[in-house]
Amino acid sequence: MSEYNVVGKRIPKIDAAQKAMGRAEYIQDVKLPGMLYGKILYSKHAHARITRMDLSKALALSGVYTILTGEDVPEKMRMGFYKDNPPLKKDKVFSFRDEVAAVAAKTPEIAKKALELIEIDYEVLPGIFDPEKAMEKDSPLVHENTKSNVLKLPWKLHYGDVDKAEKEAAFVVEGRFTTTWVTHCCMGTSGAVASFDAADNLTIYTNTQIPSLAQKDFLEALKAMGLKNKRARVIKPIIGGGFGSKLDTYAYEHIAILLAHKCRKPVKIVFDRPEEFIATSTRQPTVTHIKQGCDKNGKLLFRDIRMVLDNGAHTSWGATTPSVMMMPITSLYRVDNVRYDAKCVYTNNTYSQAMRGYGNPQATFAIESNIDMLAEKAGIDPIEFRRINRNHPGDVTPQNFKITTCGLDLCLDAVEKELRKSGTKEKGVGIGVASLIHVGGGARIYKSDGCGVIIKMDDYGKASVFTGGTDMGQGLDNITAQIVAEELGLLVEDVHVVHTDTDVCPWDVGAHASRSTFVAGNAALGAAKKIKAQLLELGSKELKTTPDSLMLKDRLIFVPGDPEKSMAIDKLLRKIHFSPGGTMLVSDHFFDPINENMGPDYKGNMSMTYTFGVHGVKVRVDEETGKVEVLEYVAAHDVGQAINPLLLEGQVYGGVVMGLGYALSEEVMHVNGKNMNPNFRDYKLFTAKDAVKIIAPVIQTPDKDGPFGAKGIGEPGCVPTAPAIANAIYDAVGVRITTLPITPEKVLAALMEKKKNH
Amino acid sequence: MKPFNYLTPATVEEAVSLFGQHSETAKYIAGGTDVIVKLKDGWMEPDYLISLKKIEELSELRKNENTGDLTIGATVTHATLEKSIMIQKEYPIIYDAVSNIGSLQVRNVGTIGGNLMNAVPSADGAVPMIALDGVALIQGPGGERSVEVKDLFIEPYKTVLKPGEILKKITIPAPAPRTGSAYIKFGRRAAMELPLIGIGVLLSLDADLETCARARIVLGVAGPTPMRAYEAEKLLTGKKITEDLLRQAGEKAADESKVRDSVRGSAWHRKEMIRVQVRRMGLKCLEMIKRN
Ligand SMILES: Cc1cc2nc3c(=O)[nH]c(=O)nc-3n(C[C@H](O)[C@H](O)[C@H](O)COP(=O)(O)OP(=O)(O)OC[C@H]3O[C@@H](n4cnc5c(N)ncnc54)[C@H](O)[C@@H]3O)c2cc1C
Repeated sequence: MSEYNVVGKRIPKIDAAQKAMGRAEYIQDVKLPGMLYGKILYSKHAHARITRMDLSKALALSGVYTILTGEDVPEKMRMGFYKDNPPLKKDKVFSFRDEVAAVAAKTPEIAKKALELIEIDYEVLPGIFDPEKAMEKDSPLVHENTKSNVLKLPWKLHYGDVDKAEKEAAFVVEGRFTTTWVTHCCMGTSGAVASFDAADNLTIYTNTQIPSLAQKDFLEALKAMGLKNKRARVIKPIIGGGFGSKLDTYAYEHIAILLAHKCRKPVKIVFDRPEEFIATSTRQPTVTHIKQGCDKNGKLLFRDIRMVLDNGAHTSWGATTPSVMMMPITSLYRVDNVRYDAKCVYTNNTYSQAMRGYGNPQATFAIESNIDMLAEKAGIDPIEFRRINRNHPGDVTPQNFKITTCGLDLCLDAVEKELRKSGTKEKGVGIGVASLIHVGGGARIYKSDGCGVIIKMDDYGKASVFTGGTDMGQGLDNITAQIVAEELGLLVEDVHVVHTDTDVCPWDVGAHASRSTFVAGNAALGAAKKIKAQLLELGSKELKTTPDSLMLKDRLIFVPGDPEKSMAIDKLLRKIHFSPGGTMLVSDHFFDPINENMGPDYKGNMSMTYTFGVHGVKVRVDEETGKVEVLEYVAAHDVGQAINPLLLEGQVYGGVVMGLGYALSEEVMHVNGKNMNPNFRDYKLFTAKDAVKIIAPVIQTPDKDGPFGAKGIGEPGCVPTAPAIANAIYDAVGVRITTLPITPEKVLAALMEKKKNH
Repeated sequence: MKPFNYLTPATVEEAVSLFGQHSETAKYIAGGTDVIVKLKDGWMEPDYLISLKKIEELSELRKNENTGDLTIGATVTHATLEKSIMIQKEYPIIYDAVSNIGSLQVRNVGTIGGNLMNAVPSADGAVPMIALDGVALIQGPGGERSVEVKDLFIEPYKTVLKPGEILKKITIPAPAPRTGSAYIKFGRRAAMELPLIGIGVLLSLDADLETCARARIVLGVAGPTPMRAYEAEKLLTGKKITEDLLRQAGEKAADESKVRDSVRGSAWHRKEMIRVQVRRMGLKCLEMIKRN
């Protein structure tokens, strides 16, 4: 990519040294004068009525400023997709995670002590913890005001004619696949500091992935508190990982606001690790029934999926994950006849939320495991089977997704080449592959999918970039700086990216859907282009030439090949500024991708472009213990153009390791709604020692709509990992594991079962 | 975490006497990798932490060249053991066990004494000490006494030590010639993992290189304390060792174990792992003997 100076370069993360030196300021480091500490009391039961509450002992504790309960929450202060979840529950609790009281005190220790002194009596109610059982007629109801535990969310589509296609199919396979709760495990735990000024305007420091939407939520909260026409300013400290966990506003933020307002002092709430495990949202558990069929040549004819999602006790945005699951269901491979029916079901479990991939990993686990079953039945090599059915550039899928660039074939080639390198087949060793499709050009989920950027040039040739986009560790600051530097002929260190403050930065819908490089990147590029046009225009006057003969590179503006006509950019900027009638260069740009909201039939081109990938893995299965060892891992992605290959690989490596944990070891264990492993000892997050070498071929298919041709790559890394592993295990030892995580115990049980039947 | 006073005695006597002064509210601390976790979780709230780290004699790791006895001081860290060439060569079962404890950071501070005294069924360090017939030397207000490591444990978090007593060292008698030993921790992860089940095997052969002179089969997480599978050991002792006999010993050990279902893993799988790993570790021992 020699045509670029900065784009395509392996530039280390701008904030790496600061973080490594412990100088990065996280929410934990925020300290305001007079600040109090808040702590939240959670329910002791999965389902119960609160019959008595006595705060007197806790209030009597020295250092306690106030205690709030459900009674203190304004009627209209509600969270979640249905806006039906108050930050503190009154009268009834629906899960162990339910917040029942909150303390503000002088120190965190006093606040904690006060929680212990709060007396609450509960009348325990029967709980329901299995979503399939919760669908039965005589199941207890989680919410008494509903007729059924099944949410009235019609996630239902049928394109083509699945029943007819099934009759015509030469081969049909069926399967039931289940996934369980896993959680983000951000290194930085959640937290917020809320503070009011004398006029009741709110400033809240919070590590959110959605500053602008959070601002809206907080303004609504203020309104509910009777504080109309106030301002809410959201300031993001450095975020220690998001992965979707910060894609909504949460009880702790609302509680911090209520406490701060009541005490007239800033209040800080920061989760400890057990709380982070218990009181943040997980990935949705799913039960998926899938049926797929193909003709005798292996052409996929139909895909039929019924799914049940554990909604937990409250309806969060997690209930909308089926909308993203629709993407692989309708559009991974060419398939004309598709049916999908998903039900979200209330239980007394924790509620789930966004997590990297937003439903895609769950759906892809079922689809791609089942594709291997179908390939086997049809007698076709699984990689060849995928080749037969792969998507092509120019395809329009049944859901009306317009495939622009598509390197799925190249990804398959790259993975196959790597996997077949060491071909010898040992006993207990097998290979597996799985593909993915994901949005790569934004995702129109809200009314706007836009992002704004402002660029301000100073007198020294430096650019300040105020972006709506959020860097939460994934590296958007680098990408933004590289794009702006490339366009303006500057070096990366000349560009300072500010993304921390809604008072300063323009609007953005949030760091989700792998959209930041594409959308915030395009916004930055648009703003940089406007600065560039001004530089060329004004520079042409200085250098007595035409704007289009000028180039910007290495901090210079010049006519290529003419050493006379050259000038340092900073000098030009000063010239422009310090001349009579001078001006300073500032530009802004709002980029909203040309993508579509889904229609009532769920059709619509959700993204301007789509990212594809194929993962391949070689495993060894110990047939006596059930232990799976990952020997090789290849993850090829079609990314359009890598703005920064180093960061891109980082996203892929991180995604794959997250996916491996999902596949092999991670699970939040719940027994009757209670989290049994709220710690890293028992929550089996992969460690550095478990991580395997990952080969990450980058397939470049420059996309005309992406900034310098780039597509999104934030989430794909963890999407097809689990099915690739499951397929490899099947190849190795002939057992198909259909529930995640694939623990040694499950593998051994399946092997023993297989032996028994032979 | 409740504030505490941190005391650093220089001798065992001083430590014991400090403990005597604050007995109800004092706690010994070595590396602190168990103690600090409990303090933070509020499981214990001592006013005094008496550190054993400054007591020089407790950090001794030495092999007596005359008797062949190995002395491991209570505050010898897992990392020290792991890095010792002597341990790697002559006591592979110790190396196997300690080199997989927690992480590098945990091994750098965690001690063998703390591991034993914390007395959980999953203590990796306990299995080799039992398999090697280790003897614990204990000193307290009433003087010194010795207890075999296998008899140290009463139940989770409880040992035979009386209040104020300190574990000084473990002495391991010279291993018989033609001895092999091995340990495996079976878990989901490669690091930061408590064993789902821990299996240690030690075999000594007669001069014929076939007959078993001594067998030790020690299990972690197979009951409330680390335990020996005596029946399985008996099955091997005095017999010609074959793979099939090791398989039978595995069956026996699995039967003897008192494994339980827990959220971490089910009993049947733990049993299965005992079956498989006793055989595998046994074979590893035989290989080692042949190699030397
Ligand atoms: C992240 C992490 C991972 C871990 N992984 C493992 C693992 O894989 N396997 C494993 O077995 N353990 C593991 N542990 C537990 C722990 O590290 C070990 O048990 C370690 O050996 C304890 O030693 P210590 O010196 O830190 O003990 P301390 O915490 O200092 O003490 C532990 C207990 O022993 C008492 N004590 C200590 N020394 C003496 C003495 N000489 N005489 C009398 N009483 C004494 C203390 O009072 C305390 O009750 C892990 C711990 C952590 C935090």
